Amino acid sequence: MKKIKFAFSYSLILLFVLSGCTNNLTISAESTDPFEVLNRQIFSFNKTLDQNIVSPISASYVKTIPHSIRKNVSNHLEWMDKPSTIVNSALQMDLENTILASAKFMLNGLSLGFYDFDNNETKIKKKDLGSTLAKLNVPEGPFFMVPLLGPKTVRDFTGTLSDRQSLSNISSNSVNKLNLVEIPINLVDKRSKLSKSIENIYKSPDPYTKMKSYYIQNRRKNVYGDEYLEVKNKKLDIEFEKLLQ
Amino acid sequence: MKNSYNDLNFKKVLYITFFTFLFFQFLTFKSYSDNVKNGEIIVKQMVADAKKHALKTIKLSPKERSLKIENLIKRFINLDFMARATTGSFWKKATNSQKEEYKNALLKQISNTIEEHLNTLSTLVYKPLKSEARGKKLVYVKGVIKDNSKKVPDVNLLWKLAKDKRGNFLVLDLEIEGISLVSSHKAETMAILRKNKGDFNALLNTFTKSE
Repeated sequence: MKKIKFAFSYSLILLFVLSGCTNNLTISAESTDPFEVLNRQIFSFNKTLDQNIVSPISASYVKTIPHSIRKNVSNHLEWMDKPSTIVNSALQMDLENTILASAKFMLNGLSLGFYDFDNNETKIKKKDLGSTLAKLNVPEGPFFMVPLLGPKTVRDFTGTLSDRQSLSNISSNSVNKLNLVEIPINLVDKRSKLSKSIENIYKSPDPYTKMKSYYIQNRRKNVYGDEYLEVKNKKLDIEFEKLLQ
Repeated sequence: MKNSYNDLNFKKVLYITFFTFLFFQFLTFKSYSDNVKNGEIIVKQMVADAKKHALKTIKLSPKERSLKIENLIKRFINLDFMARATTGSFWKKATNSQKEEYKNALLKQISNTIEEHLNTLSTLVYKPLKSEARGKKLVYVKGVIKDNSKKVPDVNLLWKLAKDKRGNFLVLDLEIEGISLVSSHKAETMAILRKNKGDFNALLNTFTKSE
């Protein structure tokens, strides 16, 4: 069984690397959208599902559960994600982030992550395999919508799947079961945090393009940090100066 | 004698050039720092006014409230620039009436977005961080929105400002956590315009439908 899981993870990475090879590094996912027709269909499917099931559940979750308990649940879900940050920070040679994330993981582990002893004072950058691949100059590949999961690029989707697979390979069965139970809770928790932004996207003239633009800008900022923002702003500055003349 | 006279002239020219250069450097630096200060003042004033509006307009009817917000936007945001920046090369092809209609649609969209967030703004605190001059005309003002009750995480903001034709400092773009509003709006309008082969009326219709 474990061999099959390993084969699955590595075939995913191989698949991704091969798909990356067909794309020019300079072409950004923002400007190219080869799967647009399919993406739009999946987007409208996700939207219907969200408006009819996830959003009402998330709204009643916010209404009925007190803020302090919701915060504890959020803390726990973040804590469960920390091993991925630790491993990927180490792979990216980000020593500071690796140490901070490990320390926080161990400290909050005393309460299974439900209580944040650090009170969110230490800023830890969230890292996943997608960001590690980005550091290795693997192109982000085309943008695509994943049913239930939402917007992704090929690189980030491969990263998400591989992260889950690798963690389940090293975790015990009970942790894996817990992970499965937590998927819907995570979905509702994230939906409740992003509710205003999502509603704002739905109201816009072209919600699909808006979501794509928001996702790509946000993802690039999280992966490349200030470097990306500076490059983007330099380009925008030139454009703005021209328009101001 | 002639040589020393030449020397003296040369020194004079050198001094004059040097001090003129210094003077212009000072003027440029002063105008840059003035721009930065003006930018900071405008952002502070805008946030303070938005907060005041949030409190004052709660009891007004939705229509009156929208009107007040639209006036606030017109005072601080360069709508003409935003309209041009978000439509790219298609702007030149639009007629004057289409341009005006698009600007109004844009105003409505921004006003709706602000209206949704205005109630939460009254409980949040804005803290200015850093400002800088970018190029000859632009000013970046960075700030953060904090929730004292810590229920909402901090939100980083970056305002991009420049003088308009009348010399007033106005906001050109706002980046929320690295997401540029002009960029995302441009992606949206360009997608609609390309889909409809540059037909501006189709863009306006899509905007009206979404209102």
